[in-house]
Amino acid sequence: MCRRGLLLILALGGTAPVARAQAPRGGVAVARAKLARAESLLAVVARRDSASRQSLYAARRAVIYEAGAVTAVLPDAVGRETGRLVVSGARRYLDGVVPEQFLSARVAVAYAATGVDSVLRARNLDARARVMADVTPRPDSLSDGWAVAAALARAYAETLDSTWRAWLPPALAVGWTLKRDGPAAVRELMRTDTRSGADCLAGGAGACRLWLGLDADANPYTARYRPEELRRMIVGRWFAVNGAMDLAHQCTTGSDDACVRLASLGLLPPVPAGASPLSSLLVFVRAHGPAGALARALQDTRGSVGDRLGRATGTSPDSLVAGWRIWLLTGGGQPRVTAGWRDVLPVLVFGALLLLAAVRSGRWR
Amino acid sequence: MYRQILHTLWSALRLPVVLLAVLAFAVPLLTVTYGGSLADAPAGRVAEWLFAAQQIGVLIPGLALLVGLLLGIGTWMHDHAGKHVYALSLPVSRERYVLLRFAAGGTLLLVPVAALAAGSLIAVASVSLPSGIHAYPVPLVVRFFFASLLCYAVFFAISISTRRAALAVLGAICGVLFADLLLAAIGVEATVTPTVFMWLTNWPGPLSILIGRWALFDV
Repeated sequence: MCRRGLLLILALGGTAPVARAQAPRGGVAVARAKLARAESLLAVVARRDSASRQSLYAARRAVIYEAGAVTAVLPDAVGRETGRLVVSGARRYLDGVVPEQFLSARVAVAYAATGVDSVLRARNLDARARVMADVTPRPDSLSDGWAVAAALARAYAETLDSTWRAWLPPALAVGWTLKRDGPAAVRELMRTDTRSGADCLAGGAGACRLWLGLDADANPYTARYRPEELRRMIVGRWFAVNGAMDLAHQCTTGSDDACVRLASLGLLPPVPAGASPLSSLLVFVRAHGPAGALARALQDTRGSVGDRLGRATGTSPDSLVAGWRIWLLTGGGQPRVTAGWRDVLPVLVFGALLLLAAVRSGRWR
Repeated sequence: MYRQILHTLWSALRLPVVLLAVLAFAVPLLTVTYGGSLADAPAGRVAEWLFAAQQIGVLIPGLALLVGLLLGIGTWMHDHAGKHVYALSLPVSRERYVLLRFAAGGTLLLVPVAALAAGSLIAVASVSLPSGIHAYPVPLVVRFFFASLLCYAVFFAISISTRRAALAVLGAICGVLFADLLLAAIGVEATVTPTVFMWLTNWPGPLSILIGRWALFDV
């Protein structure tokens, strides 16, 4: 683009003074020649640009990479080393979340790879269901395998029952980290304007269950929200559903029932907490529950989300959310202000050394 | 003899000690200026309150540093002024005299610690906390005492050290900074200062007690 612009400027710069000066016929011919030359150069640059772009986005030959149960077909442009990192990274992301049986029946296919069919057929993998990973052929977009892991996690989430599908955050929280994403979840809890969120922050386990939508409430909008909270969410919004604006009007003019009915049309989120706090709960279960707790919970189909997570971790939902709350608010369970032997010991040792140094000081010698 | 040294020190340092005590008393009370009842407070208020407790908590290790600095240097102030003639004229060994000085200064250190304890207890008594937020006055005060003691020991030792020892400490600090400059100049992507800082402040580093959570109210 820069080269093309430069050429255009050069061409115009070369012709404009000639035109302004109303030069004789010979001058016009020279200018025309210059313009023709510039145009031909522009065409060459455009062809080169187009070719380089085509090569960038052109389908590359497919290569299969495997790590454990994770199989991915990536373009050869990715490179062998990066390909191996991608599948091993994806496996690490999915470990303890998606069962191996599911993974071993699928193959993640990155975009822009040609000959996928033949490559899979050659390895007897063509019977596996294909999951498209939303990546480009550029190696840096593959990152550390997150794109492949997220695609497989999304595919797995679609196979779960309706309770899970209605609750789960995107891509089963794959890639969510406390260090990077925890502050956003804490901010959401601290800035929530729902009563359940406020009480959760203040330490109410029941309120945390409501805020996170862990209970199987018959009407989540009456159980998890107060009418005025629904009203706040509705005010100033436009709902393109038949009859919704009438309900919105009734709601904003004081009808609590209309607020609930409008929300029940599916126009407002049934869970007050956003994706980041929900993701943090899944990551907490995965990191602090027994081995495979999250995978077991996801395979469970009985009861509410809270019951399933509680059964998988071997605790009550209340204990689970109480542990999650402290873990999240303290950035991974870093202890509050402490004054145990562990804290005091370095002070005593270092203090004694300093005192010894002071006693043996050579100032008076 | 300890009592005489303590009396002398108190006479010389009572003004800064009282000022430090006032500061130590006030810091925990700042935490509760947001209000006394959090029972039915909206989330924003609880969050602000927790945030304020953490922000004010950051002042407490700073206060410990100040206490240690003033007492550590103040303990030797008169001896330095008198060229240590008085200490040398006393019929006690040099080691015993240093220990007595340290103990006397350490006793004065208890005044701001007691003030912090009083301020913390009053702050805790003046609020009604929700079930998930707790007060930690005792760990806070104990931690403050040991942090102050550490800072006091550092400045006490520096004050009585020889000029050569003081220069060695200063040289070490400058050396670390110079090493960073040198590495940056030759284009090496390595830093010494953060590594040394981490070593000093991460457990079991000697300054680890100054780092960490210091909030009077926490989850």
